[in-house]
Amino acid sequence: RVDYTPVLTQSPRLEGQTTASTFVLDQPRCVFEEYGTADIWLVVALEQAVSTFNNSAGPGTPNTSFQSFPDPVRAYMTLNATLANYPCPKAAGDITVLRVGSETSCIGDGTRPSCNGPLPGPGPYRVKFLALQGSEPVAETHWSDQIKLKTAQSPGSISTTGSGHSGGMIAITTILSILLAILLAGLVAMLVFWGSDLCGGSSTFSKPESVAVRRYNTHHVYDQPAARL
Amino acid sequence: MAKSDDCVHILQGLLVFGNVVIGMCGIALTGECIYFVSNPHGLSPLLKAPEGNDIYAAAWIGIFVGLALFALSILGIIGVLKASRTLLLVYIVLMLITFAFEMASCITAAAHRDSLTPDFFLKQMLERYQKSEPASNSDNEVTKTWNELMLQNHCCGVQGPSDWQMYTSTFRLTHRDADYPWPRECCVLNAQGLPINLDGCKLGVPGYYNSNGCYDAISGPANTHAWGVAWFGFAILCWTFCVLLATMVYWSGIEY
Repeated sequence: RVDYTPVLTQSPRLEGQTTASTFVLDQPRCVFEEYGTADIWLVVALEQAVSTFNNSAGPGTPNTSFQSFPDPVRAYMTLNATLANYPCPKAAGDITVLRVGSETSCIGDGTRPSCNGPLPGPGPYRVKFLALQGSEPVAETHWSDQIKLKTAQSPGSISTTGSGHSGGMIAITTILSILLAILLAGLVAMLVFWGSDLCGGSSTFSKPESVAVRRYNTHHVYDQPAARL
Repeated sequence: MAKSDDCVHILQGLLVFGNVVIGMCGIALTGECIYFVSNPHGLSPLLKAPEGNDIYAAAWIGIFVGLALFALSILGIIGVLKASRTLLLVYIVLMLITFAFEMASCITAAAHRDSLTPDFFLKQMLERYQKSEPASNSDNEVTKTWNELMLQNHCCGVQGPSDWQMYTSTFRLTHRDADYPWPRECCVLNAQGLPINLDGCKLGVPGYYNSNGCYDAISGPANTHAWGVAWFGFAILCWTFCVLLATMVYWSGIEY
């Protein structure tokens, strides 16, 4: 057993570290140095299958095929690599990750049992790396901690009501209602008092042509009785 | 006599000035509302509320109210200078009707602005973006608007790419999560419109995807629209109130 625990990639911070059907692990660099000729496989297992996983179960067999996961196969093997894929030490600035679940072309393809297909559910899952020499397991890492994937809610659960009214809208409504009420009251007052002298009457101010009008009125006052007669 | 003549002239002068200001504000309101209705930021498909009572209804009312204010202000000036009771009475009544319409427009604009929360846009985006059998043309419009928004503002989703992970969506129905954790438009694209690093984008490596949300890019113009219609209209109405009160006082003092 090699003293290494697979971990989700912490640095750099990845937005897609866990999604609904994929997760990202750090590559096992400088871990399998003594096993230069072995095949290094990733075992992905349901939480309950961790204790019952048999290292001798060969990859690429129906017992470990991705297409039969999670039922009846409780753990599958994928991401076959050799030590050449994981050079040590890791070059600075490189992002060395393994994206579990990225291969979508072989999801239903029974001829590719070691497909790195998207995980079928939110988990939880646990993973470990297993080095095989031929078909003999020669080294393995510890099982990782539980990996839980994201579950998505329905957009119907988003509530868009009850956002309330802002102070601005309430202020506008109140003030404008009051102004309109005052104006309507003024209009009513105007019409009710039409014809009556409110503010001291004709001496307050008069029409610009007032002088001329008075002269006309004088004529008309004399003319009308004449017309009646 | 001389003193009350002076008062008359001052009041007439004030009323004419008040009406000139109303006329100019009316033209400004019309111009502003035409600008908003012409959809300068391309956001109108997102802002249309299904019930139809929205900022655009308020803006349309604003256009006609602005023209009415301009016309009535001219009527008011003529009525004040001729000191005609009839003209001024017609002026006051029509102004009150215009006042009521503009009040409705302001309140609608302010109320609709309040409803434009991030959750509103989030729900709309999740339910209508990339709808494969669009129920109406407006769904296509929503998709096009979101794509342009994300490309031009280098943003993703409403609050970030996590929107696409936290919620199921119409987009998710046609695009597998492993291939499209978020839409391709959230990736940093090169000159040909292709992601500069597709794997980097899918992983969410900083620099290869847009990590910030588009809400700021939406709410900025939406706020300007709403406050432009609501608060400018409110200011005009306050001024109109003063002018109308003064006109009523003037009217009641005219000799008949």
